[in-house]
Amino acid sequence: MAAPALASDTPAEQAAEWLAGLGVTDPAERERIRAGFEAWKAADPRHAQAAAPMERWLAALQPLQGAGARAARAALQAGEESTATHRRRSRARAAAGLAAAVVAALAVWAGVRDEWPQALVADLRTGAGEWRSQPLPDGSRLTLAAGSAVDLHFDGDQRTVRLLRGDILVDVARDPARPFVVRTRDGEVRALGTQFVVERGAESTRLAMIESATAVRSARQVARHADDAVRVQAGEQVRITPEGVTPLAPVDPQGLRTQWQQRQWVVLDRPLAEVLDELARRHPGHLGYDAAQIAGLRVSAVLPLDDPDRALALLQGSFPQLRVTRLTRFWVRVERAG
Amino acid sequence: MPTPAAPLGCAQDIGLLYRDHHGWLRGWLHRRLGCAHHAADVAQDTFVRLLAARDALPLLREPRAYLRTTAQRLLVDHARRQAVEDAWRAEVALLAEHGDLHYPAPEVALAALRALRELSDVLDRVAAKARAAFLLHYLDGLTHEAVAAELGVSDRMVRKYLAQVLVQCAALED
Repeated sequence: MAAPALASDTPAEQAAEWLAGLGVTDPAERERIRAGFEAWKAADPRHAQAAAPMERWLAALQPLQGAGARAARAALQAGEESTATHRRRSRARAAAGLAAAVVAALAVWAGVRDEWPQALVADLRTGAGEWRSQPLPDGSRLTLAAGSAVDLHFDGDQRTVRLLRGDILVDVARDPARPFVVRTRDGEVRALGTQFVVERGAESTRLAMIESATAVRSARQVARHADDAVRVQAGEQVRITPEGVTPLAPVDPQGLRTQWQQRQWVVLDRPLAEVLDELARRHPGHLGYDAAQIAGLRVSAVLPLDDPDRALALLQGSFPQLRVTRLTRFWVRVERAG
Repeated sequence: MPTPAAPLGCAQDIGLLYRDHHGWLRGWLHRRLGCAHHAADVAQDTFVRLLAARDALPLLREPRAYLRTTAQRLLVDHARRQAVEDAWRAEVALLAEHGDLHYPAPEVALAALRALRELSDVLDRVAAKARAAFLLHYLDGLTHEAVAAELGVSDRMVRKYLAQVLVQCAALED
């Protein structure tokens, strides 16, 4: 491989290229690059000056390596999510403007790019419209809805699933020695043997219990080592935010199980906007609507969760007043006709 | 009534910018944040950031739009750093509880948090693949070849990604 220096680069760019080269696997080549780097630094004081802050910075990363890498990963991911959430909010504001179509189309691509880093560190992931049921080594089973990502950590002492994105159905095999823990940025759900659904939203995590019970703690409780976990029983539902755990309206465990088994969503008299939001989360591109236009419309339907386009067609069938505009397959807008 | 200020040509005009728009910016932030103290802090930080970048201060035809963007960027950065720190503390507490990790001594924790904040600042400025490559190599200890396989790119590209991240860290030093 050629030495990294290029005549057109600034000293900082050249220093970065040398330093990146020092990580090559082959020891002989690494030694050659190191010698080249030292010679380059000695050749001009500006070279050494450009390299020094980068070398210092790389050395300072040491506490984030090895045993510290896991916590660092989780923290950086939380940072990315924070930025993505703010971007989504400012996009929402921007979309209200006149250039909404253009902004939304750009936002789709920005949104797709935001998803990459989480997916790359995830052990299991599903794309849009793709569902996956995965048996785990301990006999538990994990079902991932479309567009979900999890990071698994299983060993002799623990069974941990970090939900990075989307919704999962968890079927926990009983093992009193190793609690089964689902974690998100918002908190953790701890179980011995049970079935439940965890949904990771932008602002909070939702837990719905199908069977048995779990102990739930918010991120703050976890950080404080608080042992006042909230017990959540079958048919109960809670919202978890980093600050706390709050009860939500009860769920129908049987209906929820069917939803996951058949991938059919039974909607009973829900606002159309809520239903569209749910479909938008599963849509591979951008699915937008004008909230004011569809205010007051309510839906009862059985919708396929793994095919958002067909679900949209079904909705349109029951609401002739809706018009669905497709700019491309990835940009869909729902409006009220006439 | 908002007073339309004259366009600003050069750095000295930051005093003018402050005089004409500081009150407005603070008011705007107050409405957004719902807290006068926080709004005053962020407004102050916005001008500090402009002063720090004064060589780069462009000709401002719409100074308020520029101030608003800068303030917004500050708020996003602040929220990101806070999220990073909170998540790190929660994760370390959890790992320590499981016995995977000893709870770090305060000075170690401080060094880790500082490194993490800088890393987060730097990664915020690069593309997703460069970010992924950097973390896989420098944090997880994967070889260039393994990173290349993970990301579906060449070894050469991995080195390019790593260099892209490293060059950004130069901008951290004030």
